[in-house]
Amino acid sequence: MSSNIQIPNATCPACGLLCDDIRIEDVTAHNACTKGIAFFSQAIANPQPLVSGKPSSLEEAVKHAAGILSQSLRPMIAGLSTDIHGMRALTPLATKLKADLQHINQASLQHNMQTMQSAGWFTTTLSEVKNRADVIVCIGTDIVTHNPRFFERFVWAKNAMFTDPNTRKIIYLGGEKLDTMHGRECAWVLTSRIADLPDILATLNALLLNKPLKASTVAGIAMTDLQKLAETLKQAKYAVLAWAAKDLDFPHASLAVQQITNIVATLNQTTRAAGLPLGGSDGDYSINNVHAWRTGKVLPDLTDAKPDAQVWVNSFNADAPPSFCHTPTIILGNANTPWSNHADVFIPIATPGLDCNGTMMRVDSSISLPLKQVRESGLPTLADVVRKLEALLP
Amino acid sequence: MITLLKGGRLYDPAHNKDGVQQDIYIRDGRIIDKPDATEKIGQAYDLTGKVVMAGAIDMHSHIGGGKVNIARMLLPEFRTYTEPEAHICTPHCKHHATPTTTETGFRYIEMGYTAAFEPAMMPINARQTHLEMGDTPLIDKGCYAMLGNDDYFLRLLHQKADQKIINDYVAWTLHATQAIGIKVVNPGGISAFKFNQRKLDLDENNAHYQVSPRDILKALSSAVHELGIAKPLHVHCNNLGAAGNFETTLNTMGASDGLPMHLTHIQFHSYGTEGDKKFSSAAAQIAEALNKHKHITADVGQILFGQTVTASGDTMQQYLNSKLAHPKKSVLMDIECEAGCGVVPFKYKDQNYVNALQWAIGLEIFLSVEDPWRIFLTTDHPNGAPFVSYPHLIRLLMDKTFRNEMFDKLNLDAQAMSNLKSLEREYTLYEIATMTRAAAAKLIGLKDRGHLGVSAAADITVYTDQADREAMFSKPDFVFKDGKLVVKDGKVIKVTWGATHTAKPVFDNSVERGLRDYFEKYQTIQLDNLKISNDEIADNGNGRIINQTID
Repeated sequence: MSSNIQIPNATCPACGLLCDDIRIEDVTAHNACTKGIAFFSQAIANPQPLVSGKPSSLEEAVKHAAGILSQSLRPMIAGLSTDIHGMRALTPLATKLKADLQHINQASLQHNMQTMQSAGWFTTTLSEVKNRADVIVCIGTDIVTHNPRFFERFVWAKNAMFTDPNTRKIIYLGGEKLDTMHGRECAWVLTSRIADLPDILATLNALLLNKPLKASTVAGIAMTDLQKLAETLKQAKYAVLAWAAKDLDFPHASLAVQQITNIVATLNQTTRAAGLPLGGSDGDYSINNVHAWRTGKVLPDLTDAKPDAQVWVNSFNADAPPSFCHTPTIILGNANTPWSNHADVFIPIATPGLDCNGTMMRVDSSISLPLKQVRESGLPTLADVVRKLEALLP
Repeated sequence: MITLLKGGRLYDPAHNKDGVQQDIYIRDGRIIDKPDATEKIGQAYDLTGKVVMAGAIDMHSHIGGGKVNIARMLLPEFRTYTEPEAHICTPHCKHHATPTTTETGFRYIEMGYTAAFEPAMMPINARQTHLEMGDTPLIDKGCYAMLGNDDYFLRLLHQKADQKIINDYVAWTLHATQAIGIKVVNPGGISAFKFNQRKLDLDENNAHYQVSPRDILKALSSAVHELGIAKPLHVHCNNLGAAGNFETTLNTMGASDGLPMHLTHIQFHSYGTEGDKKFSSAAAQIAEALNKHKHITADVGQILFGQTVTASGDTMQQYLNSKLAHPKKSVLMDIECEAGCGVVPFKYKDQNYVNALQWAIGLEIFLSVEDPWRIFLTTDHPNGAPFVSYPHLIRLLMDKTFRNEMFDKLNLDAQAMSNLKSLEREYTLYEIATMTRAAAAKLIGLKDRGHLGVSAAADITVYTDQADREAMFSKPDFVFKDGKLVVKDGKVIKVTWGATHTAKPVFDNSVERGLRDYFEKYQTIQLDNLKISNDEIADNGNGRIINQTID
């Protein structure tokens, strides 16, 4: 980052929280977490477009990309790690190419979307959590691995309108090797194998519904503990059940999400409770939302797709490898992408929130925030490149 | 270059023109006086015998923002056809309930509608709402910002803040969110539900804030009135959908002490408790009250039979309605100490007693309210039915024989509880033009829309007069948007981008001090990031802002 830059309120897209209180002075990003600091201090390793690993002009690289795509019968635009404006530029390209679309976080998005589309859910947002939540259950996740400032900003906040932040009850339910330090020493930790969560949650729901149960433990958790948890939830004025779909990395993980939404539904019969799907990075919520309003549907599940060419779009997460090997690959990506030499075409693009302005949707899907340019890199935006590319396609 | 529309029959209630044959001249997107003989006419259309109206304006339609998009995400089964090219589209297709932004623009303009207003924009969700509307081609658009369940406002009311502070907060919200009006949904009730209150009547207190819906309506209707914006406070009453709620609705009409208020989708608020099923029509009482209270306007929110989805900010009532969901799923949310939302799919069936009566109640209200300047044609898209069903609804209003044939197919118990067949009225073309054009523009404060006078924007729809009014209103011969021919024979032939209408009243910006303090303490974004800049609306040239407050 060049010196003498003063940005009082930058927005950090390094995770789904989109912290917009980042103060950038010279080369330091104040208030940012480690992910944020890494984001704002990233270098520009390779500002040069490459064709088969050799430096090229932008025009040549775009021409080469257009050549590959016009030969393709089943192209895929994958990665999709961009912001709302990037996605708005990509949808007409996808239509023109009849290309399939797949986000880098497709698997975790899928867990949530499947649950929502099968039975729906009752969820809440971060300001409600901050001001109302008196009980927070972190299910199969420590949250901070994905969203480092979650506890700092929304749990142990200085002010809350309807509850005393210091008396909140924090419970970690399920999962192993979690970083529970941020829940403070009074947090209650009930560990289990992550894949046992559907059983544990189903039992908890049965207890909430006053069903008689004879077992004394479930997946290593004592029934008396689950009973105590059920009572805590029933007594809560506003319980929040948080999960991060990325941490539910086991077969049929959407069953766990379904059980969480069932518990919320049970609690809402007598008190108030809500779910909180967390995680959210690489623009996944933004991309899914734009796709929904542009096409009427969520991003489809295409895990079995076999494209014959791919456009790998990755503005944010330089290290994520392209989805499909042995496929002609055009990378429109972060200037630090380590695979740039191996792609047929590599075009470095501006990262929204760093090299250009942008707009992104927060993890709770209700709030879209402006991302601000904080440095001069001279890199073209994804929309610029896509427009040039589209113009060369038949 | 001048365009001449020659010899059409004008239905232009703003100028008392009821089928008057008259030529229209257009230059630079505006209607002009007859030019000098020396000026060249670039293009002329012979409209002899055709019906000419201003472009229609939908004053209440959920076309953008979080809950609309949640509906799209929730219901993939509405769009299950695999071959879009082979899909034969009818007004009954389920996907009309969750149109894409492009489809929204296309279907509206193809029916002769040139503007639609999103009635429930949460300030915190304003950016997404405008982004979606920015992707909606052809039509003009605008939004009503939702207040009245937000904790900032409820705190002001609880502290008995000066009305001036409330006025400034309302004005600040209009500016910050690029809105043209203010809406309140279930006044105080969305907030109350977060404190586990399950019902809130007009004079019942929100338990936490100790303020009542009546207090909220009074403060907000005064603010809107004192700021001098055209659009009266847009009110979604308490107790939506509940049997017996007509009394709440009648009492709400008195809550503003005579200041203007608009009661929206009033059909959903006109239910009595008579009969064996304890659910009856209170349309007569509601219509009588509307006829009497000249300060109140209303839109109907007609239901029509078929599959749709309801998307509302009213979390409290939608939580109750979620038990009736079809298919059986719903999304509910508490949102950002501002409001909430509830998305619940519904299938209205003509053999279901309640649904059949809802259909009849809506039509009874349409036909019993005397003044077409104060009652508006809506289905509360998509809540009562998708907006593509408007031509069908217009036929129901204009054609008694057709209406009665439809009525005869309803659930028999519902037929026995409705006086619809005794209502002889058939709406005229002039009355339809009033409620869908002139009155809608006047209500919202669109000075240059909804009429065909000199200097109006040339948003013009041309129909062939047909006995089958559904056919007629489904497929205009021509639609001109800002003077450009964009629809021919009911199909889009040119894609243009409409404007966003806003109201920007003068106010004291010192109100921002209190807001900034509140945001720093309690909210989770920076206050400045809530504001939608003009550049965001302009969107690199596709959008533009029209401020309708300038005199």
